[in-house]
Amino acid sequence: MPPSEGADASSAPKEDAKPSPSSPPSLDAVRLRKQPPPEGRESLWRRRSAIFSFWAVVLCLGLPVWWKTTAIYRADLPLQDMTDWAEGKICKPVFPLRIAVEAPLPPQDAHHLLRTTQHALDDLNEFSAHHLRLMLADPPAPANASQQVVVDGTRNTSDDEDIALSIRLIPVETGATPRSHLQPYSPTLDVYYTPNQIPPPSSTGSPLATFIAHELHKIFAEEQAQLAYLLSTASGGHSSKMKSLSPETSAELQRQSTRALKYAPTYHLTFSLFTPTSTPSAWDIESALRQYVAPLLDSFSAISNFTVDTQVQLYATFSPSIRQPEYDEALKAWTLRKEDLSGFINAAEWPLSPSIGKGPTVNFVLYVPDKTQSPLLVKESGANSWLIPQWGGVAILNPTAPGKDAIVSASLTKEALGPAMHTFSNQLISLLGLPQMPSSLPLRISTLARVRAASLIFSASSTLGALAQVYQKLPSIPVPDSVAKSVDLALAHLQLACDRLREGRFQGALELARIAEGEAEKAFFERSMVGQVYFPDEHKVAVYLPLLGPVAVPLVMAALKELKSGLSALRGR
Amino acid sequence: MPLDQQKALLFGSAAAVRLLLFTAFPSLPNRLAGRVEVSTPVTSFKRLQEGLFLYTHNVSPYDGGVYHQAPLLLPLFSLLPNPSYYPFATSVLFTMVDLLSALALAQIAESGQSVVTRLFKSSRKDLRWSSVAIAAGFLFNPFTVATCIARSTSALTNLFILTAMAKASQGASFTFVLALSFASYLAMHPLLLFPPLLVLLYDARASKTKSAPSPFLFSVVHTLGLAAAVCALLFVSALLTGSWDFLAATYGVRLLLPDLTPNVGLWWYFFTEMFDSFREFFLGVFWLHVASYMPGLTIRLRKQPLFVATTLTGIFAIFTPYPSIADATLYLSLVPLFRHLFPLMRYTFLASASILYASFLGPAFYHLWIYAGSGNANFFYAITLVWSLGLSIIVGDSLYAALRDELDVERPELRGEEVKRI
Repeated sequence: MPPSEGADASSAPKEDAKPSPSSPPSLDAVRLRKQPPPEGRESLWRRRSAIFSFWAVVLCLGLPVWWKTTAIYRADLPLQDMTDWAEGKICKPVFPLRIAVEAPLPPQDAHHLLRTTQHALDDLNEFSAHHLRLMLADPPAPANASQQVVVDGTRNTSDDEDIALSIRLIPVETGATPRSHLQPYSPTLDVYYTPNQIPPPSSTGSPLATFIAHELHKIFAEEQAQLAYLLSTASGGHSSKMKSLSPETSAELQRQSTRALKYAPTYHLTFSLFTPTSTPSAWDIESALRQYVAPLLDSFSAISNFTVDTQVQLYATFSPSIRQPEYDEALKAWTLRKEDLSGFINAAEWPLSPSIGKGPTVNFVLYVPDKTQSPLLVKESGANSWLIPQWGGVAILNPTAPGKDAIVSASLTKEALGPAMHTFSNQLISLLGLPQMPSSLPLRISTLARVRAASLIFSASSTLGALAQVYQKLPSIPVPDSVAKSVDLALAHLQLACDRLREGRFQGALELARIAEGEAEKAFFERSMVGQVYFPDEHKVAVYLPLLGPVAVPLVMAALKELKSGLSALRGR
Repeated sequence: MPLDQQKALLFGSAAAVRLLLFTAFPSLPNRLAGRVEVSTPVTSFKRLQEGLFLYTHNVSPYDGGVYHQAPLLLPLFSLLPNPSYYPFATSVLFTMVDLLSALALAQIAESGQSVVTRLFKSSRKDLRWSSVAIAAGFLFNPFTVATCIARSTSALTNLFILTAMAKASQGASFTFVLALSFASYLAMHPLLLFPPLLVLLYDARASKTKSAPSPFLFSVVHTLGLAAAVCALLFVSALLTGSWDFLAATYGVRLLLPDLTPNVGLWWYFFTEMFDSFREFFLGVFWLHVASYMPGLTIRLRKQPLFVATTLTGIFAIFTPYPSIADATLYLSLVPLFRHLFPLMRYTFLASASILYASFLGPAFYHLWIYAGSGNANFFYAITLVWSLGLSIIVGDSLYAALRDELDVERPELRGEEVKRI
């Protein structure tokens, strides 16, 4: 390296002119040698200042450069808050559900009924975080409700989000009373009663109040179970106030949650038609989707958005790993064995890309078998569709349904697609994690919104906690300002979401929790942070030494030599 | 043959060789301009043409991210006819640049500052080549010819550096400051030549006028003059391009090395392999490494400032971010000024062998890597290491020789004895 050459060259001629006292002659050879004359004052001074100038550059410029360029910027993060969120210390999610009661009664009686029902309800409830609060609604508009509900079904949950369920008390004269009917497309429970079942003001309990309380408890049982399960898995902090779940419920919920896709603000649905031959080569998928799937997607729009695409693949063959279908004489059908279903999707050849665009992809595969191999069924159950957890669903459309004429020609009509579309809708509902109960779809969707909001809050909190741990455990990673900003945003939105939950405004809570989750993920997966995670401090030696070592050695040696001779000169004086 | 006649013959033949090469092989200039050994991102003629095209179409020449050269080159070259159709004017310009450089070199040689300065008189001062021989060594150096044919703008930088040296050795303050400010404006790193050349100018002036001016006042006046000249050039450039963006596109590129096109230097390979987080640090280290030689050498060899300046050009040819053979040719043409040191140099064979080895194998290995695909980047990088090794052997060896020469003057009784380290 030239620095060493330069330094050597500059000191080489001088050194044999060095004054002898600095090196006491011990060897005879040295003693015999002619003593070099003392070095001139001027050249001594000049050599020292030359060495000093190198050192000045190193110290005055090199050190600041080193300090400035290798300093790791770490933005301040609210570590305590992040850890508290992760441990569940800040937000204890509660789910106060408001239930409006429309009773064609004088206010006094209605209040009394409400109070007794609330008492009965509170006695039934074991899960303190989730409680139902009854309130009197304004008298209903005299409209025929059954017409209105389909229109109102989705709007009720999104606009009037304060009310989770309405109870309409309808006096009837005939039939068994009290009885109830949950409207399938509206969050409304109709309760039929005979007027004499209204509790008198003096009594503390009545069959009607107990009946309503039990009905409500039944309706929200699954939601309570889901939330309790979620709280128990999320963190240990909530276990104290949690109601205990039976092992069967727990297992069932576990099964459901493993089947459902991870929550995402946008899902991508891919509908694919596969056939081993050249027919059918077209399908009326657009209008089929419009008729069968679009209404469902609309009602989910409060929770997630969906994008849809479709494709047709001809001459799609089975993957070679599964056994070919066998003809079953008893069923008069070709059968697939149950254990082969998991390998039915020919992942190697069928163009089902794992992800298009931003969100996760849900695949729905419609398989039309060859005419010679139809009808094609699952051997054990005789079913023609199945669900693949967290991936999508498969339906087999047999061209010749038993007992019917061929329904498959070159193109599939909307009507022919109908059954498959219903199957897909059900599969989509399962894949999105919608609970099985109760029978009212808007109620189930609002239940899903609550569950999703809670789970998003938990996952964002735990992401923040993980980030705080990473921050503390790895002091060598840089943390840019954008991370601090994302963390602040996530914390603010988490707090807002928690407040909304407490107020019972679940739709708002879901939206805020979604933002919080997004920001938390953004902060955690910041690209510039991970660069140095696997770069321990020892490696820096390997970076610095090969270049700086050779440069530093002559500098240090020259400085030491000069210091030594300077000291001995001082001592000699 | 009288001196003037010799000079005329030399310059005429050098010009003839260049113009002949330009006209007889019309594809040669473009081919050479594409060679990484000759054209770097900051000196390439092709990039200059790109900038020129944008400039003549009223677009900022730095918008394309290709042009990294000084803005004042643009009006100069826009005066010439388009070199794709009428290459002759450009050829004449670059030939003239070379001839002027040789003239400046001859002036340096004639001043005799290389052997006899105000404070130092070499004991071997009679051992020197004539100025014509030294100019011929520059003009007929194949590296110089290649630089000229490739129309690399480092030829202009070399011209201004040589002019600054010549004017400093003649004691002409004004032209020295002007020439050095142009050189610094074009290539930035020649600014480091200012202290040794200022010492040279001071010595030349002091020996001329017999009454030494005050060193402090002298250096302050010249430093201010240089600062004013450079600022004026930068200001004119800003007026010309309409913004100060050119600073980032020219000097920023030299400082921060965003373009890692291979060249004969050591930086590009190092920084392709560098961890991103250490990039800034090592940029600082490399630049400080280049700069750190200047004060040390200037102090240690205070009596031979021209030699310090020469050695610094050698260091530039090795350690700057975008060196080319044009930088090497500047150094190799200045070294013959110190003919009297040659007997003291110990590794002349090794140095000349490695330079020759690198200049023949370099293009071959580059071809293997880029075109044939049978080699990789390490082939070319190994050759640039050999090239830099050869140059640094010359630098180190000549430094040793210069110090030995000083020692011989200080202690004539030691002359001819072997130097030993204790």
